[in-house]
Amino acid sequence: MRTGVYLCNCGGNISERIDFNRIEEALLLQPGVAYVQRVDFLCSQDGRQFLAADLGEQRPDRVVVAACSPREYERAFMQVLERAGMNPYFLQMANIREQVVWVTPDVDQATAKACAQIRGAVARVGLHEPLFLKELDACRDVVVIGAGPAGLKCALTLAEAGRKVVLVEKSPVLGGMPVRYEDLFPNMECGPCLLEPLMAEVLHGPHASRIELLTLAEVCGLKGYYGNFQVAIRQTPRQVDAEQCIGCGECIPPCPVSVPNEFNFGLDKRKAIALPFLGALPNVPFLDARACLRSRGEECTACRDACPIDGVVRFGETAQTIERTAGALIVAAGFGLYDCRNLPELGYGTVPGVCTSLEFERILASSGPTGGELKPPDGEPARRVAIVHCAGSLDERHRPYCSGICCNYAFKFDHLIEKKLPGTRIHHFYRELAVAGKEEFALYDEARRNHHATFVRYVAGGLRVSGPEGGLAVEYEDSAGSRGRIAADVVVLCPPVTGAADAGDLSRLLGIPLDRFGFFAELHGRMDSAQSGIKGIYVAGACQAPMDISRAVSQAMAAAGYVLSGLADGKKLEISPITAVVNEARCSGCRTCAGVCPYQAISYPPEGRVASVNPLLCHGCGTCVAACPCAAIRGNHFTGEQILAEIEAVLA
Amino acid sequence: MTQTETQTMPDAGSPAGPFEPRIVGFLCNWCSYAGADKAGTAQMSYPPNVRIVRVMCSGRVDAQFVMQAFRDGADGVLLLACHAGDCHYQEGNYRATVRHRMLLRVLAQFGIEEARCRFDYVSAGEGEKFVRVVSETVEAVRALGPLAPHLACASGGTPRLTQPSTVASP
Repeated sequence: MRTGVYLCNCGGNISERIDFNRIEEALLLQPGVAYVQRVDFLCSQDGRQFLAADLGEQRPDRVVVAACSPREYERAFMQVLERAGMNPYFLQMANIREQVVWVTPDVDQATAKACAQIRGAVARVGLHEPLFLKELDACRDVVVIGAGPAGLKCALTLAEAGRKVVLVEKSPVLGGMPVRYEDLFPNMECGPCLLEPLMAEVLHGPHASRIELLTLAEVCGLKGYYGNFQVAIRQTPRQVDAEQCIGCGECIPPCPVSVPNEFNFGLDKRKAIALPFLGALPNVPFLDARACLRSRGEECTACRDACPIDGVVRFGETAQTIERTAGALIVAAGFGLYDCRNLPELGYGTVPGVCTSLEFERILASSGPTGGELKPPDGEPARRVAIVHCAGSLDERHRPYCSGICCNYAFKFDHLIEKKLPGTRIHHFYRELAVAGKEEFALYDEARRNHHATFVRYVAGGLRVSGPEGGLAVEYEDSAGSRGRIAADVVVLCPPVTGAADAGDLSRLLGIPLDRFGFFAELHGRMDSAQSGIKGIYVAGACQAPMDISRAVSQAMAAAGYVLSGLADGKKLEISPITAVVNEARCSGCRTCAGVCPYQAISYPPEGRVASVNPLLCHGCGTCVAACPCAAIRGNHFTGEQILAEIEAVLA
Repeated sequence: MTQTETQTMPDAGSPAGPFEPRIVGFLCNWCSYAGADKAGTAQMSYPPNVRIVRVMCSGRVDAQFVMQAFRDGADGVLLLACHAGDCHYQEGNYRATVRHRMLLRVLAQFGIEEARCRFDYVSAGEGEKFVRVVSETVEAVRALGPLAPHLACASGGTPRLTQPSTVASP
């Protein structure tokens, strides 16, 4: 073994604070060290050229560079080795700048420590093995789960880039939650109007042919890995032929069945065959087989009889499971609201006139249960509205966080109430106000200037909604300690945004973890919020964290970006060789490794009794290597032998 | 300089001088190693007794590495990880804490004091904390003195850990 050691002077930064002569002499006595070279600035262009040329001349088996932190230039020096015809992993750096000379003022002590660190590097590099980047063909198609703003934007972006997209939506309609909001903060754009161009593009645009839209569909199985997922999707039949239906709605009125309309949060009724709401896209009714009289064996054909086209209403279609292959998945499954029944003092579900903000959105919407009239579905127009901000937020017993959007929509409500019924008394009960953003402040400012609006800052636990005896009212204790009671016709609760109700099922199915609040956990909160912990599965929109539409759409674009750069056209998937590798002969099949792997990279093929690491999913942390009781897993480039040799040498 | 001098040169302290503990520090690449770099960039000085071994994740630190460090003559071992919740690999640091607790129990059976094997969290921004943890560890191990000669063989012969005689062999 011939190891070449390069000592970088770093322009005196290192060489003036250390005795390189003594180090050189000591190193030359160490077995394996063939030569020691001193270079002024190894990282400079000249330095790298010198290194490449010298490697060509000296032809060492291994290289040690004693210089700055490997976090700075290790990659660059690896490239130099590669240029010189060596395997790039035959390099080891000794960090004698940041971790020695810059922190050790005494020259003798610095020299001794540097010498030990370089000896460690020499001992280790002698055991380095050639490693190679692997390449793999990958499927470029993508499955997007959820057709809200994030999912739609993501699907469209990928389709525009030429990708085939399967867009899986569990409801019969596109647009997610915001399509049900008449107006959006901060600019009072109409929700359906904002989303309609996007939905129209997805349905009928120039790239729509690349988007396979599956409504009433849910992912029910996932196998495989990044670049090659097998996705099983279960689709409930619509029982209405989407290709032939002209969307006239003639089929709906004759239907004799009435069930609570989930799209208006049960505030009104719909028929068994229905459009979720006026203007819903795709403009094709769906037949709810569970509600239909035919499910009880009755021979009702009212809808089919009313349909002007033969064969559009198709009774008896059965659920089917569709299999698709995809290189990546994007989860844009949307959000839920914290269940206000956990806050019994606020009267939700027990006191008439108390509603959640989502229900209130529908009350305000012209396509909603009251046709946009500001009143409870079967009540009188409201003259007094109480809006309860932070209903369960900022509270360890419920949700400790601020959702960041509630104040914005609460002030939107303020604006809309004043517009619809001028003079309506509005009371904002809040604990904290959060209206950051370059446009968002305007709505708050408007609410502050609204003469009919008052603000009450309540203390934690200082709010109670009473009624119906004595009339609907909010009793409060404010932050100054005074108590009061304000009568209201409608109380709107603004609860914390949470993960969607079915996020847990999806999490188990896809193997991507939820955080402690029920949102899909991101790989990193700041740097990688659109990546899940599993390679090739991305998260976008409010299923990852509470967020507004603009952030959801941006995150969707980020997720699409990951797919387009990771599964780029004309490029194979690159697999880093720094992964764990199982020695099958030693593996006892105890599965300890699988239990500690955070990336689900370790599996047990049914036919074998030993673990197998998927290098595509492995991030190379080495936790399984350390956990294996049989020493049956090797951590490439950080093998037990390499590290033990380094330990021995730094202590020698 | 003579060859003898060269060979005895590399380590702080000498047989005649005050005891200078030798400590191996296992630092994870993403947080604590970066924290050590940060201390360097800020040119904070701290005792030179810690020899740094970089691993990608604190979860990679095998209990065997720690035992081997003691066998090879270390007087102390330092395990540094990302803060809870900050692990680059999600939960490797948690695995490391579990392993460290186990290690302390094993080390106790060899008569090795807890203070000789410290686990702590150092983020990439915590140069000052890195310096403090290193300084405290060096002082703690210095106060304990060299690892007892019956536990480790400092020079010559085969270094080995000898189990206390009270532990029955299987």
